[in-house]
Amino acid sequence: MSRSPLALAWRRFAQNRGAVVGLAILLVVVLVAVLGPTLMPQSPWRMVGRPFLPPLTDAALPLGTDAVGRDVLTGLVHGARVSLLVGLVSTLVALLIGVPVGALAGYFGGWVDDALMRFTEFFQTIPSFALAIVLLAIFQPSLFWIILTIAIVSWPPVARLVRGEVLSLRTREYIEAAILSGQTSLQIIIRQVLPNALPPIIVLASLMVATAILLESSLSFLGLGDPNVMSWGYMIGAARTVLRTAWWLSFIPGIAILLTVLALNLIGEGLNDALNPRLQRREE
Amino acid sequence: MKPLLPSLALAFAMAATAPALAQQSGGTLNMVVQPEPPGLVVGIWQNAPTQMVAGDIFESLLRYDTDLQPMPSLAHDWSISEDGLTYTFHLHEGVKWHDGEDFTAHDVVYSVDVFLRETHPRLRASLVHVDSIEAPDDHTVVFTLNQPFGPFIGVFEVGTMPILPRHIYEGTDYANNPMNATPIGTGPFRFNAWRQGSYIHLVRNEDYYLEGRPFVDEVYYHVIPDAASRAVAFETGVVDVLPGGSVEYFDIERIMALPNTCITDAGWEYFGPLSWLWLNNHEGPMADVNARRAVMHALDREFMRDALWAGRGEVATSPLSSSTRFFDDDLPSIAYDPDLAREYLEASDYDGQTLNLLPLPYGETWQRAAEVTRQNLMDVGFNVNLVATDVAGWNQRVSDWDFDLAFTFLYQYGDPALGVARTYVESNIAQGSPWNNVAGYRNPELDAMWEASAVSPSDAERQEIYSELQRRLIEDVPNAWLHELGFPTIYRCNIHDLVTTGIGLNDGTRDAWIEQ
Amino acid sequence: MARFILARLVKAVFILLAILVLNFSLIHAAPGDPASVMAGEAGATDEQFLEDLRRRFGLDQPFHVQLWIYIKGAVQLDLGYSYRRGMPVADLIWDRLPATLLLTATAFVISIVFGVIAGVAAAARQGRWSDSIISALALLFYATPLFWVALMAALLFSVVLGWLPGFGYETVGANYTGFARALDIGRHLVLPATTLGLFFTAIYVRMTRASMLEVSRLDFVKTARAKGLSPGVIQRRHILRNALLPVITLAGLQAGQIVGGAVLTETVFAWPGIGRLMFEAISQRDYNVLLGVFFVSAAMVLLFNLITDIVYVIVDPRIRITE
Repeated sequence: MSRSPLALAWRRFAQNRGAVVGLAILLVVVLVAVLGPTLMPQSPWRMVGRPFLPPLTDAALPLGTDAVGRDVLTGLVHGARVSLLVGLVSTLVALLIGVPVGALAGYFGGWVDDALMRFTEFFQTIPSFALAIVLLAIFQPSLFWIILTIAIVSWPPVARLVRGEVLSLRTREYIEAAILSGQTSLQIIIRQVLPNALPPIIVLASLMVATAILLESSLSFLGLGDPNVMSWGYMIGAARTVLRTAWWLSFIPGIAILLTVLALNLIGEGLNDALNPRLQRREE
Repeated sequence: MKPLLPSLALAFAMAATAPALAQQSGGTLNMVVQPEPPGLVVGIWQNAPTQMVAGDIFESLLRYDTDLQPMPSLAHDWSISEDGLTYTFHLHEGVKWHDGEDFTAHDVVYSVDVFLRETHPRLRASLVHVDSIEAPDDHTVVFTLNQPFGPFIGVFEVGTMPILPRHIYEGTDYANNPMNATPIGTGPFRFNAWRQGSYIHLVRNEDYYLEGRPFVDEVYYHVIPDAASRAVAFETGVVDVLPGGSVEYFDIERIMALPNTCITDAGWEYFGPLSWLWLNNHEGPMADVNARRAVMHALDREFMRDALWAGRGEVATSPLSSSTRFFDDDLPSIAYDPDLAREYLEASDYDGQTLNLLPLPYGETWQRAAEVTRQNLMDVGFNVNLVATDVAGWNQRVSDWDFDLAFTFLYQYGDPALGVARTYVESNIAQGSPWNNVAGYRNPELDAMWEASAVSPSDAERQEIYSELQRRLIEDVPNAWLHELGFPTIYRCNIHDLVTTGIGLNDGTRDAWIEQ
Repeated sequence: MARFILARLVKAVFILLAILVLNFSLIHAAPGDPASVMAGEAGATDEQFLEDLRRRFGLDQPFHVQLWIYIKGAVQLDLGYSYRRGMPVADLIWDRLPATLLLTATAFVISIVFGVIAGVAAAARQGRWSDSIISALALLFYATPLFWVALMAALLFSVVLGWLPGFGYETVGANYTGFARALDIGRHLVLPATTLGLFFTAIYVRMTRASMLEVSRLDFVKTARAKGLSPGVIQRRHILRNALLPVITLAGLQAGQIVGGAVLTETVFAWPGIGRLMFEAISQRDYNVLLGVFFVSAAMVLLFNLITDIVYVIVDPRIRITE
C-alpha cells in the first residue's frame, strides 16, 4: 500500500500524543483569535464594571475586571489575535531574512558564505534582548516595530540552520543534475534546495512562534508594548503592579501564554518526529 | 484667606489633638529614593531625587509652612522694605560647613549671584528682578530688586536656592569638581557613603547649629528600582518611609492595612503639583476652542482619581492648584459631562482625524490614565491613538510640539507668577523645552494681566487679577486640567515630625524623631 | 592552536568595533538626548541650561566627531564618562559586574548541574513515569514567561511564606562582614538565581535527554552493548561523553549571555547588576554607559565562543581546527 509522504508524516505526528494535544490547544487558540473578536465586538479597552472584580463573581464578566474595570475575558479573546499575529508575522519576517541569507551562504560558499556568516555572527554577538530594547527605544513601540524587532533578533538561527541544510543538499546528485541541465542558481535554490530543506525549517519555525510570543510578553512587561492593541503580554505587564492585590490578572493571561507556547512546543516536537529524516530512516 | 485642602485641615486637627510627646534621639531612618539621583549637589542637579536627599545635606535661607508662610532656616530673621524692593536677611551665627569652615553671608552671595545664576534655570528666571545681592557683614544678606516682585519671598527654598560652600566651588568647574562626590553642606546630616545602585548613607551632623537636632543618628536612602519591590521593602521592614510616588497607587490600600502604618498628603503645598493634558493650540483639531472644550468635558476625572490615584488628590477645578496662592474656588464648572462634550464636538470643526495622545512615561498609573482618557475621548466621538514613548521620547515630542494631546504635570511653587504664568504667556512659546507654553496658547490680553499681577504690590489686587485670569482660561481651555496630584508619604506611625513644612521631605528630616 | 586562537582574537576585535559603531549609531538615532532627559527631570529648563549640559557632555560636536572620539577611546579601553552619574563608565561597570556575575554564574551552575542530571535520568528511564514527569516539567518551565515565574516566586517565598528576601543584593544597613555577609548575600541570591536558572535548566534537560537518546542509537553504542559492557559504563563512557557536545554549545551560548541576559531578573528582584544599568541607561540616553555595557557583554560572548570551541576540541579530539 503506498501512501504519500505527507500522509506518512501525519501518521507519525498523530502517534505523538503530546503533539495531538498541542494541536488541539492551538486550534482552540486560533479559533478564538479568528472568531472571538466577532463574537465579542466590544472594545477590550472599554470600562464595563467596577475595577478589580474577581473572576466567577459576575456571570456577565466571568473572568472579572482589571484595574480600571475592563473585562478580562474580552481582553483575553482580543489578545489571542494580537499575540498570535505577533508570533506568526515576526517568525515569517525572520524566515524571510534568515532563509535567503542561509541559502545563499550555503549554496555559493566561498566569500559569499564568509561575508554572510560574519554578518550573522555579528548579530548573534549582540545580546538579543538588549538589542530588542534598544531598537524599541529608538523606533518607539508600535505593533509594526515590535514585530520587526523580534524578527531582527531572531533570524540568525534560521540562517545557520538553512545554511547547514543547504550545504549538505548541495552535493546531492539531483542538484548536480539540475546544474547540468542549465537551471539558474536562483531556480535551483527555490525549486530544488529549499523544498528539501523545509522540514527542519518548519520545526524551527514552530518553536520560533512560541519564542516570539514570549519575547513580546517580556517586552510588554518592561513597558515596551504597543499601547493601542490588547495583547496577553500587555495584560501581564499591566497587572504586574497589582499582582499582590489581584493575582488573577497576571495569572490568567500568563496561563494563556503558557498554554499557547506549550502547544507550539508540543507541535514542534511532533513535527520533528514526523519530518526529521533521520528518525524516518530508522523507522523504515 | 485661601481655603485649606480638606486633608490638610484634617492633619491640623489631628496634630492639635495628638498628645504631646517628648522627642527622642537615636535610631536609623530608612527611606526610599526613586530613581537614583545623578548627583547630590543640588544646584548642579535639580531633579526630584537629588532635591530630596540634598534637603538633608544642604539648607537655604528660609523654609515654608504648609500655608506657605516663610519660616526661619539659615536666616533667623528677615524683613522686606515698604517699597517691596529690599529684602534683608539675618543669618544664624556659629553655623559651620561639614568640613569645619564657617558659614557666612559671602557663601550666600556667591551661591546666588555666581553659582546658581549659572546653573539653575528656574532661579535664573526670578533673578531677573534682582539688581544686586550684597553682604554688608558676615551675617547679613541684602537683595535689592529692580521693581516690586511679590512672589520673590517664595524663592528662598532649598530646591530653588540652596546655599553652597564658596570655599569649595569658587573658581572651579562646578560640574566636574571632585568634591561633588562628597558634598559639603550646612545641613543636619553629613554625607557618608553612596553605594551606586543600593543606597546613600547620611550620618548625623554633630556640630549642627540647632541644639539637639537632628534627632536620628543616620539616614539611609535606599535605591530600589521596582515599585513592587519598594512595597515589599516596606512590608518586610527594610524601609520605614515611602516618599510620594514610591509605590504604585494601586498598592496604597494594601500597604495601609499593615500595622503601624500612617499616610499623609502634606508636604506638597509649596509644589502644588497639577496634572493636565497639553492640547496642541498651534495646529490640528485642538486649535479649535470647541474641540478643546469637548475634551475637557469628556474626561471622567472623578473616576480616574478614585480608580487610578487611589482617591488621593483632588479633581482640578482651575488652572491653579488649590494650595497655590490666589486660587479661586468659585469658577465656572469644568466637570465631566459627556453630553455637553458631544455638543461642543458637534459645534467644532473636528471631522474624525486620529488624535495622537502622549502618555506620561512615569509608570503604570499614568499609562492607565492615558488608556482611560483615550476611552473617554472615544466615547464622545474622538479617534485617539496612544503614542508609546519613554522619557526621552516624550521630552522630544512635547518640546517639538509633535502631539495633539500630551499628559504632563508641573509644580506651581506656591505662586502663580512662579509656576503658572509660564504655561500660558506667549513670550514663553519656544520649541526645545517641554516646560514652557508648549500648547502654544496666545492671548495678548491675558499676557498683560499676568505681567501686571506679578509686580502688583498688593495681594488684594493680585487676587482680583488672578481670579479673572482663572475664569478666562477656563473659558478658552488652552489645556485640559486633570488633577491636583496627591503624593502621599507612607511611613511607620512611630516616626514623628517627618513632614513639617510645605516642602515636605525635600526640606530634610531634621525634625523627625523615632519613638522607640 | 595558538595561531587559531590569535586569528579568532583578531576577528573578535573587528566584530567588537563593528558592534560599537552600530550601537553608537542606533542609540544616537533614538529621540531625545541625555541633556533633555536630565533637564526634564529637573522640571524646568531654559536654552542656556540645555546648551551647558550638551557642551559638558560633548554633544555639541558633529556626530562623526563624537563617534571618532568614542572609538578612539574604546580602542584604548577608555569607555568614557557616564553623563548621568558623573563617573567613568568603566568604574560603573566594574562596580556592577560582581553582582551580575554572581547571579548569572550561580544560575549557570544550577541550570547545568540540574539540567544535565535530570536530562540523563530522564533518558535512562525513557518512557517511564519519571521520564514523563521530568520532561513535562522541563517543557512547562520552558514555556513559562521568566518574569512571571520571578514575580510568582517573590510573591510566594518572600511575601507569603517569608522564607527568603524578595529583592536586593544584601540587607542594607546591617553592615555584615565576612561569613555573615556572604550568608546574607547568599540568601538574597536564592530566588533570582533559581528563577533565572529555571529556564536554562529546562533547556538543558530537553537537550541532554534528546542528545542522549540520539547517541544511544548510534552504531558504536550498539557495538559496546554487543561487547557486553555494563549499561552504566556505556551510559557514562560512551553515551554521555558524546551527548555532551550540544550541551557544551549551549553552555557556551548561555555563558556568553552571562552579562547581558539578566535584565528581566535584575529588574524584578532589584539586583544591582549590569542588566539593570543597561536598561536605565537606555531610558536616560546615557550613551556611554549603554555602549560600555554592550562592549563588555559582546566581548564576553566572543570570549565564550572561543572557549567553547577550545573545549570542543578537548572533549572530542576528532574535531579538527579549521580556520
